[in-house]
Amino acid sequence: MTTLLIKNGHVVDPANNVDAACDIFIKDGKISALGKNISEKAEAEIDAKGLTVTPGLIDMQVHLREPGREDKETLETGSKAALAGGITSVVAMPNSNPDADNQTVIEFVIKRTRELDLINIYPAGAITKRREGMHLAEINELKTSGAIAVTDDGVDVQNESVLRRAMEYAKTCDMLLMSHCETSDLTEKGVMHEGWVSTQLGLAGTPAASEDLAVIKNIMLGQLCNARLHLLHNSTSGAANAIRNAKKQGYKNLSAEVSVQHFALTDEECLGYNTNAKMYPPLRSRDHVDAIIKAIQDDVFDALTTDHAPHIEPDKLEAFQDAAFGSTGLETSFAVMNSYLVKAGHINFSKGISKMSVEPARILRLQKGTLGVGADADIALFDTNHSWTVESTRGFSKGKNCIFDGKKLTGKAVCTIVGGRIKYREGQILS
Amino acid sequence: MAPDTAEKDLIDARAGRDASFFDLYSIDQANDNDLALIFDISRRFRHHKTHKFALNKGCSQVCAFFEASTRTLASFDLAAKNLSMDTNNISSSGSSTKKGESYLDTAETLDSYNIKTLVVRSKEAGVAEFLSRHVNAAVINAGDGWHEHPTQALLDALTMLDHFKTTNLAGKTITIVGDIMHSRVFGSLVRILKKLKADIRVSAPETFLPPFVENFGLKTYYKVDEALAGADVVYALRVQEERGAHGFIPTLREYSKMYGISRKRLDLANKNAILMHPGPVRRDIDVHSALVAVDDQSHILRQVENGMAVRKSLLWLLANRLDGKVKEIKRK
Repeated sequence: MTTLLIKNGHVVDPANNVDAACDIFIKDGKISALGKNISEKAEAEIDAKGLTVTPGLIDMQVHLREPGREDKETLETGSKAALAGGITSVVAMPNSNPDADNQTVIEFVIKRTRELDLINIYPAGAITKRREGMHLAEINELKTSGAIAVTDDGVDVQNESVLRRAMEYAKTCDMLLMSHCETSDLTEKGVMHEGWVSTQLGLAGTPAASEDLAVIKNIMLGQLCNARLHLLHNSTSGAANAIRNAKKQGYKNLSAEVSVQHFALTDEECLGYNTNAKMYPPLRSRDHVDAIIKAIQDDVFDALTTDHAPHIEPDKLEAFQDAAFGSTGLETSFAVMNSYLVKAGHINFSKGISKMSVEPARILRLQKGTLGVGADADIALFDTNHSWTVESTRGFSKGKNCIFDGKKLTGKAVCTIVGGRIKYREGQILS
Repeated sequence: MAPDTAEKDLIDARAGRDASFFDLYSIDQANDNDLALIFDISRRFRHHKTHKFALNKGCSQVCAFFEASTRTLASFDLAAKNLSMDTNNISSSGSSTKKGESYLDTAETLDSYNIKTLVVRSKEAGVAEFLSRHVNAAVINAGDGWHEHPTQALLDALTMLDHFKTTNLAGKTITIVGDIMHSRVFGSLVRILKKLKADIRVSAPETFLPPFVENFGLKTYYKVDEALAGADVVYALRVQEERGAHGFIPTLREYSKMYGISRKRLDLANKNAILMHPGPVRRDIDVHSALVAVDDQSHILRQVENGMAVRKSLLWLLANRLDGKVKEIKRK
């Protein structure tokens, strides 16, 4: 029997409507008690005075690059980065090499996760073979081997018939289908948001309509069979409106997320040809960002994610149009949410935590994201007022391509607990 | 060696001044003083024609052209030679990435030859600006994708100012016709015209107008005749054949009918209006053949002459700073 007591912290547990000074007692990896002034003795104690204690964060969209591009990130370095950000569970996207369109890759990721014993990694499989949008992957086989969802991550299934059948088939297998919404015929060679900034930079833009159209298409096809459909990284006002309407019409199996950079930053980050600001979907103009924030307030968006996308430096030391898409984010997502949504006065802290724990757990059907008695003791301790400047070169991720690099954020994970064991404390990984 | 009369003339015209920038990748970098300085000495360089100056003796220049060019390359190279620079030109069609070497590695290698000026042309936007952060040499943008071509704008502005014999373009209407969206010439021209207080009009089909182009501070016209009425400068841009293939316009034939600058159309502009074009002209598509070189109103070849002078000015200013300041760079 192992026991751990977290004392004197302020607990925010949206699943159980707790927002109060509380102690948490952990026994054998599960939460065994939550209450004021727990006096029971534990083998180890954490004094959480001045800290906020929340469920460990769950990130629904992370690119860990292993197998295939271990020079960019590994399951180990990505896990450590997650711990440093208060994240205890992630969904690993299937764009590895080979693609996770087969059970071998899924089984490999699950095996490595167990060996590493750092965080919970839930691999997602591909919708189609080689993520080419042509032939369905063996979705039931993926499910059986442990995949938590299917997605063609980074590309949308462009052929509507294939997408429709994929939704029907995923439903048959009781599998969540996650769509990256993009109309490639409209994106063409776009490398950033199409707008005034792209005009000033002379760069080919991606119109918001490329995303809007794909979101609408996905929703319409999803409604045909009431698919369990999750829309990844939404960034436009049109996407927000379409999802708002679909939910209003009662499409209950629909969920949607926003990656934190899309409510925090605008396309002006691209000025000076800053390649760290190059990502898909692109950072949008202020009007879109404002619409996204409004939709987060209104719970149009269920979850907040990172879309963590590490790259080696040469992939970003390029002409903007040739540079790789994506930014890292595991070590900054909590601070970005806290700074740009909570401290900025858009939502309260509990809502922010909910969208990074309870809601992802609900969408993914994980018995996590809660501090209720009996739940897995995945817990994060944050100093919500700690102000710091992001220095990605000092992070755990192999990717140093963080769009928040050099920016000042408020809030930092102090201690991260997975399955009742302290895995991260004040800058150190404990394994 | 003591300066000769022509050099003394240039040194007097410079009057101890320096540019506010170390590299020139965008007209946004040039303030009013910079423009005045460049125009002052460019006029003197133009006056002395091909005189061999020793002003940049001992300085080297490399033109790294990652996209094909004949005119601009010749102009930069001759300008440097007129200033007694040693020059070398690297041309490569297709991105260097395809050869396995990045732009940055190429530029850092060239920089290690202790060159003073690195003139860069690329088919991608932002390459000159990106490289300028990492090399000691002064980087001059000779055209980056659809973004900018600052020396073209400097020579265009000089051509206009000298025609009107004014120090700015307040009250003058400049009408730019053609493929605005894909034009680096437009990118720099619109910025410099704004600085010089001109009234700017653009005329093109919507497919050639980038989003929010009016934010530059200009008026857009679908009908070229309306845009030309009362113009003081008619500036035609080149339309590239491949644009038709990509569906921006149905055919060059239709484009020429709708937007080509003919004698009749030019007459809609003010009586003393001038016709300009950055070259190479597509005769009878952008501009009717008869208007290109022989017409009194056509300043197209005068633009080319001013180009040499402007480039000499920049090379002298950037390779030989009087204030001794050096830029800070980050080696990667």
